[in-house]
Amino acid sequence: MNWNKFVWTVIGIILAVTLVLEFTYLAGYDSHWWNKIPAFYAIYGFLCCIAIIYFAKFLSKNIVKRDIHYYD
Amino acid sequence: MIEFLTIPGVILIVGAFLLPFLPEKIRSSVFLLFPLASLYVVITTANGYSFGIDFAAYQLQLIEVDRLSRVFGIIFSITAFVAGIYAHHIKDLGQQVNALVYAGSALGVTFAGDLLTLIVFWELMAVSSTWLIWARRTKESDGAGMRYLIYHVLGGGILLGGIIWHYADTGSLAVETIAQNYTFANVLMLVGVCINAAVIPLHTWLADAYPKATITGAVFMSAFTTKSAVYVLIRVFPGWELLIWFGAAMAIYGVVYAVICKDIREILAYHIISQVGFMVCGIGIGTEMALNGATAHAYSHILYKSLLFMGTGAVLYATGTSKIVELGGLFKKMPYTFGLYMVGALSISGIPLFNGYISKSMTISAAGYAHVEAAQLMLLLASVGTFLSVGLKLPWFTWFHKDESDIEVKKLPVNMYIAMSIAAFACIFYGLFPNALYVYLPFDTDYDPFTIYHFVETMQISAMTLAGFWLMKKKLAGELIIALDVDWFYRKAAPATRLVFVNWVDNFFDRVEERVIGTARFLTEKFKNPMTWLNPFTDRSNKADGYSPAMDVVMSFVMLTFIIISILYFL
Repeated sequence: MNWNKFVWTVIGIILAVTLVLEFTYLAGYDSHWWNKIPAFYAIYGFLCCIAIIYFAKFLSKNIVKRDIHYYD
Repeated sequence: MIEFLTIPGVILIVGAFLLPFLPEKIRSSVFLLFPLASLYVVITTANGYSFGIDFAAYQLQLIEVDRLSRVFGIIFSITAFVAGIYAHHIKDLGQQVNALVYAGSALGVTFAGDLLTLIVFWELMAVSSTWLIWARRTKESDGAGMRYLIYHVLGGGILLGGIIWHYADTGSLAVETIAQNYTFANVLMLVGVCINAAVIPLHTWLADAYPKATITGAVFMSAFTTKSAVYVLIRVFPGWELLIWFGAAMAIYGVVYAVICKDIREILAYHIISQVGFMVCGIGIGTEMALNGATAHAYSHILYKSLLFMGTGAVLYATGTSKIVELGGLFKKMPYTFGLYMVGALSISGIPLFNGYISKSMTISAAGYAHVEAAQLMLLLASVGTFLSVGLKLPWFTWFHKDESDIEVKKLPVNMYIAMSIAAFACIFYGLFPNALYVYLPFDTDYDPFTIYHFVETMQISAMTLAGFWLMKKKLAGELIIALDVDWFYRKAAPATRLVFVNWVDNFFDRVEERVIGTARFLTEKFKNPMTWLNPFTDRSNKADGYSPAMDVVMSFVMLTFIIISILYFL
């Protein structure tokens, strides 16, 4: 199975559908400051994902990582 | 007497007493009758029903039913039933009995009308659940179980201290809402409850013990301890603002640690902390919608988290390992488990049409309506992490990643599949028909999760999380490690603690004992025969134990005087 193609297709379809909805149905929606930013949730989701991974890696490498027998 | 059986918790505990008398063959089947009975009682008992007894000087309300306790009672009974099916193949009497007592005491906490009843069930819950860890019978589970027990005994003690103080202040033992006021009594109670809710930094018992519990025990544990604490928080501490930030922080804390962890059940354990963070945050916001959201999320969470623990438990059962580095490529060997697991994973990730969506969006919206936007963004960040670890990393490295696993896969008992299917069905059912849950929530609501806004929000976030994962998935694999957590302070500090609280105290008592005995010896030697130092004219080396007539006379007079005075006094 070609995972690469599958994953990017799924992402593409979801983004296309939600962006269309955002610019049509939700065009006038204004409840939070971030509603003015186009595709905010997509950007926020991606940045958060990257941030979590890097932050966790940083924590793991520098502070909390120990050998599995550390407490024995 | 028969009224006692209207208490759902008591039904299960009575069941636990009956189980040992039954033959092994039918024991696991009879086990299932008790949660069903309690479910029936919970559903049929009217709101406002209560039953109490007089105990010493107190009026104890053993059961009080209202909408909030009912919804928790329903889900606790259902989970006990489903987890009972999952554990149907288990023959270990100890586990069965303790699982029933554990579920029963969680129900007891839920329906307790006064704080004394509550604390009794609270402690019972701690003791019975410890057995489910020890029943794994490994060196790790022995240690983890003991740490778990000590932690919960401490938490129970703090809660009891708070309750006593609260009673002394107010004269009331009712389980009722306390207005936000950080008095000693309230803080003690809050800390005691927060220990069970695994609020950071009091959460380490959870991540330590749950991955080391038995396969079936972890399913029970994922449901009861933290969620009964969430229930108490909703009932007693709604709107305590501190909880907003502790909740949001633990939601993020859990997901970050879940990225570091390389054991599939440890990942899920950290995600309990994260999910309970959503609920705690909602409780802190304290509006009707937020409390509804917290309740609904607890309900959904119990369903999908037990499903997730059943799925990973099935993997552990079949392959004998739960380490990410040893798993992978299991799809062809365990396709059904994968499918059922994914229902739970999509639910916890809040994907539309699954039950996490209907409760998580409610909690996050409540933060939005209350205009606590920072908390709202923190919860969204945590949702990203949830999908990343539970929805993507865990299944990818377990079922795919490698072409084909060379691990020998043991056949799963049918009952495991049945239990997982029931839970998966429930996850989808509530995802499609949210009103089936909403009508049971403590406050009336006309909330509709299926709006275009929520759909766009959730799907954009999830799609881009998938993109992030796909680009960086190589960073997420790795060997099993220990990720230091706050438990370092009591695990590594154990020798120091022993030195200060055991060795130093022992030494102190040793010294004191020496001094006391030394002084006593000195005094007896000196006073055995005071003539040796009172009379300067006698020989200094007068034998201390020798007979001295003069001394004899003196002592006789002292004695006589004493007797005469005594007689005069009593006359």
